[in-house]
Order: sequence, then C-alpha cells, then structure tokens
Amino acid sequence: MPMKGRFPVRRTLQYLSQGDVVFKSSVKVMTVNYNTAGELSEGARKFVFFNIPQIQYRNPWVQIMLFRNMTPSPFLRFYLDNGEQVLVDVEEKTNKEITEHVKKILGKSKEMLEKEERERKKLSHPATFGPKKYHLRECMCEIEGQVPCPAFVPLPKEMRGKYKAAMKNEA
Amino acid sequence: PGLFPGLCPGWSPRAVPARGRKSRHDPPAKSKAGRVKLPPPVDPEELLVVLERYRQHRLVLSALRAEFRAEVLQRKREERLAAEGSVEELEEHRRLMAWNEEENARQQARREERLRKQEEEQKRRKLEIAEKQARKMEAFLEEKEKEVLQLQEEAKNFITPENLEARIEECLDNPRNYNFAIDKDGRIVKRTVLS
Repeated sequence: MPMKGRFPVRRTLQYLSQGDVVFKSSVKVMTVNYNTAGELSEGARKFVFFNIPQIQYRNPWVQIMLFRNMTPSPFLRFYLDNGEQVLVDVEEKTNKEITEHVKKILGKSKEMLEKEERERKKLSHPATFGPKKYHLRECMCEIEGQVPCPAFVPLPKEMRGKYKAAMKNEA
Repeated sequence: PGLFPGLCPGWSPRAVPARGRKSRHDPPAKSKAGRVKLPPPVDPEELLVVLERYRQHRLVLSALRAEFRAEVLQRKREERLAAEGSVEELEEHRRLMAWNEEENARQQARREERLRKQEEEQKRRKLEIAEKQARKMEAFLEEKEKEVLQLQEEAKNFITPENLEARIEECLDNPRNYNFAIDKDGRIVKRTVLS
C-alpha cells in the first residue's frame, strides 16, 4: 500500500501529536488568507502545509478556514466567542515564527496544560481494574506482584479447590 | 394468597405463572375447565392511602435529585467561569493583544519601508531610461548635424553648369598621374612618369 501525498509524515499520529499549539477555549474560528505564489506568502504556505494539521488535531472543535489568492498580503484572523477578532500579520515570517506567535497570544500555557492533565488523571484511579474502557487492567492476574493467571501458570496444588476438597475428605 | 392470608408461608407468590411441563400451545387440563381467575382483592382505602404515599415519596425524591443536579451544575459552571473570567486572565489577554498589535505595527513599518524602497527603485530606473533616451537622441542629432555640415562643405566643390567649362579646362590643364608601384613589403613608389 503506497503512502499518500507529498509529505506522508504529516499523516502520522506521532507527527500530529507533536503539535504544541492548544488554543484557549474562547477561540472558535481560525481563518488563514494566503497566496499560492509570491515570496511574501512563503511562510504562510509552509504554515498551512505543515502546521495546520497539527493544530487541528490538537483542537478538533476549532473551525479552520483557508482562503487563497484573495488579498495581496497574507494574514491570520481568529474569532473569539465574545465577538473579538484578532488579526495577525504573517507577511515575511517563517512558519516556525508564525506558530510561536500564535502560541504566545492564543495558546494555553504549559502550566495550564499540565494542570488540566493532572485534573484528568485525578478522575480515574490507576490501581483499580475492570473493563478496558475505564481501567488500565482487566483482571487481578494482570497486576504486578499478584497471582498470575491460571490459564498461563497453573496454581499450586494447595490453592486448588480439588485438592482442598480431597484433603477435607481424607481428614 | 388473598383467600388465605398468612396460611401459606412457604409459598412464594409468583407474578407470572411458570411454564413447567407444558408450552403455551398445549391446551389447559380438563380439571381447570371451570376455573375462573380473579385478580387479587384490593382494599380501596388502603390502595388510596398507599398510592398517595408513594406519590408523595416519589415527588420528594425526584425534587431532591433535581435540586442536587442543579447544584452540581451550578458549581461546575461557576468554577469554569472563575477559571476563565478572572481578572488576571483578562489582564493577560489584553497584554497579549497589545503585544500582537505592536507586532502588527512593526510588520506594517517593515512593509512600508519595503514598498518605499521599491518605488524609489522604480523611479530611479525610469529616470535612467529617460536619460539614456535623451542621450541617444542627442548623439543622433549631432550625427545628423555633422552630416549636414559636411554636405555643405562638399557643396562648395560641386560642379554646376556655370563652372562646368572652367572645371573642364582646369582638369585638362592639370593632368594627374594615378600610377604607382608597390613591392612585396608594401612600400608605394610614385615615380612613374605620365605619358
């Protein structure tokens, strides 16, 4: 099965999860106006090609729209939920600079992300076991330090009901 | 059951008759031919009382549940708002927006600089071209002037019908010798005598 597209690495989960721009919850729409030709839009083109998949992966609820060849100079526009619009001029900027800029003005800071991570962790207890959907392990036998599953390692005689019943009958 | 209250303690009442041996398609037995199945007797006052009590109980319970649900939601909403709309956050947001505006202004300055330079460049180029054109025109005119003057000079030596006779006489009087000798080194010798 051949790989699809010019840079198929953009489709890998590892690449996508490497995106570090997580927008604040007030950002609803992101609009990119850029040109398909011209030296000035080069950074914007690279940004659209390489970084927007990462951003959309980390922010699945933000609507991203691309407009090509509508204005002479490239820019980004963010629409927040209180009606505010944020304009970012990206002429003559590399795509890395653009991501840094966007992360600085509208991205969640690292501390905030870590805090959210910790909150999410608090909801589930890692020591419990049960259905795979809610817990890490399904059976007690999977936990380290516990009796292994009798399907793989037979239990010692003394723990088996058969032996215990036989002993009781004997006595 | 209702006919013998308390006389069959070991018998557990069944809501649905269990189908032991016969399936639903088998006909009932002949001994059950005249059987009339009556619903269990109900005491109307007791029924009313019990229903009323159940109604109130359920009403209270659902009200309590709704109350608690609303409280939890309210608390969550407040927490969310407090996390978002706090003063520091707004301050931070305004600061970042201001920084963004500055960045845009800087980019605007750069853009204007670039456009200005481009315009200057264009003007300079246009001027150069115009100058070149002017110079070309001048040179051309000079050439033409020179030619005209040269022609005027030569016109003095032209042979006209008036001085035709005089010129012929002149030529005949002064014979010119066009003969010459040249050797392999390229030296010209004009000693040949005209005969």
